[in-house]
Amino acid sequence: MNLLQRLRNPVLVNEWKLRMRTRRSPWIITFYLLVLGGVTLTFIYLMTGGGGHYNPNRSRELFMVLSILQLAMICFVVPGLTAGVISGERERQTLSILLTTNISATKLIVGKWLASLSFMTFLVFATIPLYAIVFLYGGISPAQLLKVFGFYLITMLGLGSVGVLISTLIKRTGIATVLSYAVVFGYAAGTSILAEVIREFIRYQRRVYYSTGAPMPLWPDLLHSINPLFGMLGIFNEGPVQDLRRVISNRFSLVSVDPFWLYVLFLAFVTVVCLALAVYLIKPVRPRLRKAAGEE
Amino acid sequence: MIQINRLVKRYGKTEALKGLTLEIEKGTVFGFVGPNGAGKSTTMAILATLLEPTSGQAYVGGYEVTKQPREVRRLIGYMPDFFGVYDNLTAEEYLDFYGANYDIPAQERRQIIPQLLELVNLSHKRDAYVDSLSRGMKQRLGLARCLVHNPEVLILDEPASGLDPRARIELREILKELRDMGKTIIISSHILPELAEMCDVIGIIEEGSLVAFGRVDEIYAKMQEKRVLRIRLLDRVEEAMTRLREVPTVSGVTREGNWVVAGFTGNDEQQVELLRELAVAGLPVAAFNEAQGNLEEIFLEITKGVGS
Repeated sequence: MNLLQRLRNPVLVNEWKLRMRTRRSPWIITFYLLVLGGVTLTFIYLMTGGGGHYNPNRSRELFMVLSILQLAMICFVVPGLTAGVISGERERQTLSILLTTNISATKLIVGKWLASLSFMTFLVFATIPLYAIVFLYGGISPAQLLKVFGFYLITMLGLGSVGVLISTLIKRTGIATVLSYAVVFGYAAGTSILAEVIREFIRYQRRVYYSTGAPMPLWPDLLHSINPLFGMLGIFNEGPVQDLRRVISNRFSLVSVDPFWLYVLFLAFVTVVCLALAVYLIKPVRPRLRKAAGEE
Repeated sequence: MIQINRLVKRYGKTEALKGLTLEIEKGTVFGFVGPNGAGKSTTMAILATLLEPTSGQAYVGGYEVTKQPREVRRLIGYMPDFFGVYDNLTAEEYLDFYGANYDIPAQERRQIIPQLLELVNLSHKRDAYVDSLSRGMKQRLGLARCLVHNPEVLILDEPASGLDPRARIELREILKELRDMGKTIIISSHILPELAEMCDVIGIIEEGSLVAFGRVDEIYAKMQEKRVLRIRLLDRVEEAMTRLREVPTVSGVTREGNWVVAGFTGNDEQQVELLRELAVAGLPVAAFNEAQGNLEEIFLEITKGVGS
């Protein structure tokens, strides 16, 4: 079997076919573009006073608004798209049949994960003309544009893998969807709330013990850097994350860390862990790690 | 081909299988009979590598199902009692998807699928969406799906359940064809007379244990150790019943109009002697029959009271 055959994933191909045959898909694309297009074009209309003038700084703001709006849409859509991928198969009573075929658990999980996210990727890339319009007004570098799309991609992959794991763990799609939304929103809001609570707690401790001169630990800022909203703002050198680069440079003179890559690293880790767990859990007959180790 | 050794499966405190042991030879059509909850589906799910037994071993083609599931999956085609289909695929695409899952090259799939559709009499539905098919057709499509990788063993869990009589007959015909192709088939059903026609060997399972196992004729013979005699008299029915009650090999004498029904544990010669005695006594015997026990009766007899 050559490499191409090895990489071929029938589940992925089948999912694409099935997804694009439903009436729901064109409606989702239409609705998605209408919302984002409506907001963007209204903003442009207001910004330019009906087409009379424009300000590059306002264009940057518009780009940020559009990027954050799209990020919010991703956070909103991805759990819904992924939370039913395995539980849906189980409810439809097709999972047991799939598990008796030659397809490996890894191919099954990865196929389902990529198929659900490919639709989201399609949605995101369908909005490129909107970005092109905003990009025309200036105020944004090409590197920032690429980073924004990279940010979307890794966010989709990461949140999607959480959805797939929950879908593998929970048998009912309804419960899996609710739990996925809870986890995603818990992560989106929780990381920054936790960062601020920790920061305040440290400040309080220092006030009590009169040690206000000591530098603030890094990890409240690290928590901010893995938050989707602040991570995105960091690309535009806004929000608390931009301090992180400076603080790291000051403390470790040779190290220069772009918070964007911290975000990428964190979500890549989440993705690998969630998918590995999903692959392990979906196997009807699981290898016994302890026994296997004992045998060695 | 299939070997099951002291298989135990527990769900919490419930013991679904209690040390089940059986062996099925290659090319055998094995009928797995038992009431609901007896452990048939559990056994089949274990053989299909979908369930891990609590203890014991199961082998398919020499491969242990828990240790070599990939090898086992290549050998088996499994149809669960309830299964779903992808409604937005055509019958051909449905089979193609599963063929791809078995790593069958596209070119080969294009050759196999029309043959399979023909085997299950669905050639005319090749381009029809699966959701437009009747239950019987879906069941046949499911059977074609089991065969897409040409497995040696077919594990069919209640394939006839929910089908109308015509669909059952069609399914039975297809299974006969598969038997002729030399497949080893394990089939469970509540429709016992159907199994009698199709199966070489039958296993009756009750509360997780095998209570009867053997060739269909052997099980019939076992059942016939206790025959049921039906005797029709023109007159003097009560007198005949009194005489029959005096015979040590006769029990449970009852009256159904002009018929007397009684259990009989004697052999053929004793049966002839009984008829002769009745005739010598001058009783007007118009008919003397041995009631034909079918699998339904055998099943009820063997599992009598165990699961209730």
